[in-house]
Amino acid sequence: MPPRMQSRSVSNTLLPYLTSTSSSSSSLSSIPSLSSTSSQCLSRQFSATAAPQAQTKLRRQMFEWLNNEGSIFKHHVPGETNYLTRLKQRGNEGSETPRPFPNNQHFISEPILSEELRNEVYNRVVEQKKSVRVVSVELGIDMKRIAAVVRLVELENRQRAQGKPLALPYARAVHEMVPTTPLAEKGERQTYHEPINDLPAHPLTGSQIFYPVPESRSFNRVEAGRVFSGAPAMEHSEAAEISHPSDLAEKIMEDPNSIGWVGKGANARQILQPADVRIPHPHLVAQERDRLAHPNERLAVADLQSKRLERQDALEKERRERLQARREKKTTIVSPEDSRFNYRIKDTIYTTETTGVDGRGSKATGRRYGVPHRDRTRGEVKVPTRVEA
Amino acid sequence: MVLRIRLARFGNKHNPFFNIVVAQARSARGAKPLEVIGTYNPIPKRPTNLYGEDADARPYKEIALDRSRAKYWLGVGAQPSDPVWKLMGMAGLVAPKPTTFDKA
Repeated sequence: MPPRMQSRSVSNTLLPYLTSTSSSSSSLSSIPSLSSTSSQCLSRQFSATAAPQAQTKLRRQMFEWLNNEGSIFKHHVPGETNYLTRLKQRGNEGSETPRPFPNNQHFISEPILSEELRNEVYNRVVEQKKSVRVVSVELGIDMKRIAAVVRLVELENRQRAQGKPLALPYARAVHEMVPTTPLAEKGERQTYHEPINDLPAHPLTGSQIFYPVPESRSFNRVEAGRVFSGAPAMEHSEAAEISHPSDLAEKIMEDPNSIGWVGKGANARQILQPADVRIPHPHLVAQERDRLAHPNERLAVADLQSKRLERQDALEKERRERLQARREKKTTIVSPEDSRFNYRIKDTIYTTETTGVDGRGSKATGRRYGVPHRDRTRGEVKVPTRVEA
Repeated sequence: MVLRIRLARFGNKHNPFFNIVVAQARSARGAKPLEVIGTYNPIPKRPTNLYGEDADARPYKEIALDRSRAKYWLGVGAQPSDPVWKLMGMAGLVAPKPTTFDKA
């Protein structure tokens, strides 16, 4: 469609005509060009098609709706959502629905962190030096979200320090219009923002396996994990040591190498552990079991739990530092004066163990010779699936 | 025949990646070398998660090198090519190559 030429001057003789045709949209002063088509036709000789004389039906209906029912959405009420579904439930006022789309009842808009809660997360992690795990349990926020909040607040602080402009009015408006999780007042119990102990389904558990087990044998989640990953059953003595699958969590926390392996060479993989071990907060299971075992000793159980968390944090910290030290020992960073770049030189070892006897082993660094490059096979994911942070 | 320590290009178009290899000087770039002793990724990467003073750190390039094998091959007379000489000079295995400016 060629661009419409706007008639600059509307002569006085046309004015009564204008007002009569725009009766349907008299309140809308923003669309006068539609009704001034007759004057456009005079000045526009190259177009044989006359522009539509009136608005289309749908457009007219839209403006009708906007002027009548829809006018309540023009300005939002601070602290309340501004969803279309408000119209439907006008009968039962007060109950705010989290569903923004009238025709999609399955979509629920989840609350976001309020400013105070977000600042509290940063405060506890950075200033009070609490571990991410502890803060996650205290405030009921996923550990990944805690890490993201800390990074983003750090970024915000840096931008403030650099004097960069922040989109504060925008942030305020969004926070007024979407549901938020508030920070609890002092002495109140914090409402959980989201479930924190969720576990994604492991792909190994997707297969349906018919596995007959004698009645005399114990078969629990630990055994099921071994079956899914194709590992042989445990020795009876070994199985008898595990009174509950969550006992394994602590053992693995102390010694991650205690997880066995199945398969050979490039196909080797760790045995699938029970959900009690793989969930983000295994210690919550242990705490619940303590509570059930000692229902009348709440203080002792809480004390036990805090000690357990401290021990786990210390272990995690030590492991992180050890890994970091090992990584630093293996790399030297060179920054030449006449270069724009740093060079990270990593020590590697090429032996028959890494390259294999025929030189085609998968463990050695670098591209391999004599092995097909699978980068164009079907189903190969080439876009990055994770971000190193 | 001269033994050379040189780069062998892998990777796709606009996405170079090099193995540092020991090979006969007259053999083709893509031929199977005597030995692979490292890698060099010439695409610079931005360091992540840096705050404060480190925030504007220089981008880095990654080199992996088996130092003991490199020393062995240098000891038996393998000659590094110019780019490898530069890399090995940074790793401290050979003296940096004198530039034309230095010679003059």
